[in-house]
Amino acid sequence: MASLALIRAQVESRLPGALTIYTRSEREMLPSGIPAIDRETGGIPKSALTQICSLAGSSSGKTTLLLSLMAQTTRRGEFAALVDASDCFDPASAEASGVELSRVLWVRCGERPGVRSLEQAFKTADILVQNGGFGLIAVDLGNADERLVRKVPLTTWFRFARVVEKMPGALVFVTSAPAARSCAALTLQLDRGSARWEEEGALTHTQLLTGVDFTAEIVRSSTRKPVQSVRPKFIARSQWA
Amino acid sequence: MLFACLYIPDFPVQAALRNSDCNLAEQPAAILDGPESLLKVFAVNDAARRSGIDRGMTRLQAETCIGIVLRKRSPIQEESSQAVLVECAYGFSPRVESAAPGIVIADLTGTESLLGAPRQIGRALQRCAEQCGFIAKVGVASNPDTALHAASGMEGIAVIAPGKESVSLSRLPIEVLNPDASILDVLDSWGIRDFGALAGLPPISLVERLGQQGLILQRLARGEVQREIVPCEPPLSIQECIELEEAIDLLEPLAFVLNRLLEQATARLRARSLATDVIHVTLELEVHPDRQLKGSPCASVREPYERNLKLPVPTQDSKLLLKLLQLDLAQHPPKAPVKKITLVTDVALLRHTQTGLFEPLAPEPGQLEITLSRLNAVVGEKDAEGRLRVGAPEVLDSHAPDNFEVRPFRSLEPVTIHECLPSPQLALRIFRPPVSARVEVKQGNPAGVVFNGSKGKVLIAAGPWRSNGRWWNRREQWDREEWDVTLGGDTVAGIYRIFRDSLSGLWFVEGMYD
Repeated sequence: MASLALIRAQVESRLPGALTIYTRSEREMLPSGIPAIDRETGGIPKSALTQICSLAGSSSGKTTLLLSLMAQTTRRGEFAALVDASDCFDPASAEASGVELSRVLWVRCGERPGVRSLEQAFKTADILVQNGGFGLIAVDLGNADERLVRKVPLTTWFRFARVVEKMPGALVFVTSAPAARSCAALTLQLDRGSARWEEEGALTHTQLLTGVDFTAEIVRSSTRKPVQSVRPKFIARSQWA
Repeated sequence: MLFACLYIPDFPVQAALRNSDCNLAEQPAAILDGPESLLKVFAVNDAARRSGIDRGMTRLQAETCIGIVLRKRSPIQEESSQAVLVECAYGFSPRVESAAPGIVIADLTGTESLLGAPRQIGRALQRCAEQCGFIAKVGVASNPDTALHAASGMEGIAVIAPGKESVSLSRLPIEVLNPDASILDVLDSWGIRDFGALAGLPPISLVERLGQQGLILQRLARGEVQREIVPCEPPLSIQECIELEEAIDLLEPLAFVLNRLLEQATARLRARSLATDVIHVTLELEVHPDRQLKGSPCASVREPYERNLKLPVPTQDSKLLLKLLQLDLAQHPPKAPVKKITLVTDVALLRHTQTGLFEPLAPEPGQLEITLSRLNAVVGEKDAEGRLRVGAPEVLDSHAPDNFEVRPFRSLEPVTIHECLPSPQLALRIFRPPVSARVEVKQGNPAGVVFNGSKGKVLIAAGPWRSNGRWWNRREQWDREEWDVTLGGDTVAGIYRIFRDSLSGLWFVEGMYD
């Protein structure tokens, strides 16, 4: 035992901390504002990369979830940055969702989704991550071509994941397909929603879209082990409902 | 009473070469003035004087001196240098007189307990001037004129004790008093060549021969003149200027020069405990005469090129200002090589904030400005409709569709914490501009929508929701019928908002509920 202690002392004198077990402090979470998702994931992890994707493509609730996250951030007095790769952010919807627009830095990339706008989105995300000070940095690649997003090298995602570890805010990518793989601390996959209509089947001018039912699946989570059978469901109500 | 005089020998030379790498203590330098065809030496430094260069020589004669630095006289640089000297003196006293070019007198009465002994104050004043790029002499005395004569006639720091003015000044040459040429000739003919000789003359006889002027000169030589100084107002903006020997056509070397100007400007700001939030940069461009022809694309280059920077918070950080200027000039480069730079910084009070431990996260304002400039460089400044590409969105008070504005983003918004909505609101993902569509209408209702090359069958539709506005303005008028539809199909299945433009009769897909 004495020789073990001696060896330990000698190693530590040359390499301080070499034999110290590094314990990662528990991650701070940003509530998503959707109780069903928060219940299963605990929220969106800060200092980590989160991916919100939808294989179904349209009407899957990814924008609703993103605006809800932005509302949670800005209403707590923090600032949110949105990198909008295809200029599809609707300020009126965001305001109705409770987002404090004066606390949002909106970066509008190219008008047409393509390689150039994707490049711009990654460049601007990089600049924003380096700046720091934002409670949430969201990169919306939801309209970008799935094939282009999949071509983004894994090293890029890895670099973002490493850089954001030192940042107190959350980094969220909204994509049409899962691309960040193991670099994402949380991957949420959303399915196509089903609309709720008031007075369904009646005359068109008496019908009203009152909301949409969405379903999320936790594909990957570094904080809690994902349970395949748990698929949190939530309702997004329309402004007029 | 205690006064200090800051005296800059050969002021035009030092003012012109303050921003250059020229070592004035060793390298001969001369300033030329006059019409371009007949330039003559206007001022020289000691090194040039030792080499035989003197005022009034022609340029050709001056160029015979090996290694001489020749510059044209620059009144703007002299003005800005004088302002630097005044600010230097403001660091020691609130009452400062700008007596003449290169001469500043500060009233130091009552500052001894705060700043130390007169010699210490003089040394600090000299060091301050040296930091601003001047070789200075300082005189400290009980009256302004004695301080001035001590500074101009003696070397280094001259401190004259009260009551010993006459003795201390006695060895100074009479030229230091700067009398009229006629009086100087008379005094010279009398054999009066220094202050002591003039001070020893009988006053009544002196007045009889030279008039009141002679008596004033004698009192000055004795150090007896006690006058009030005329304080000047501190400037509301700080100006730094440099005229380049050779025009600069690349941004990188230009940044070096800008860095020097900014460092000097921020040092002046720091000396007054001030900061700046607005910077005006004027670049005078070198345009060859044959490019100034009317109608040529280079005609517009003739005007000085101006760039203005506005910061959300006042700063003294020269590196931050340089980075912002670099980014701005990279986006808007001058169209010709730069031969003269004038930098004016508006002064503002420093912002003092007490941050709390529990305050929400916010970007640092100075760093944020650099980030915003970088973002602008990546995505551009404005879109086709003139809206900013980077900023904070703002919904306008109007019923017009997709009516918003993008304001400059500021991280100094007051912190207000609100309750969040209990349940999420359905969001619309806008197609900007709206996607043109072909809609099949049956019994007045949409039955099928074709857009982006795909067809979707309308499963459920709600509408039409009619809206219009700005009917009084043809260009901004809008009139439409909106529908919320659920589309079926392989590629376009989803919930969309489509609309028919009643003015053109065309259909568009405005966005997708997502």
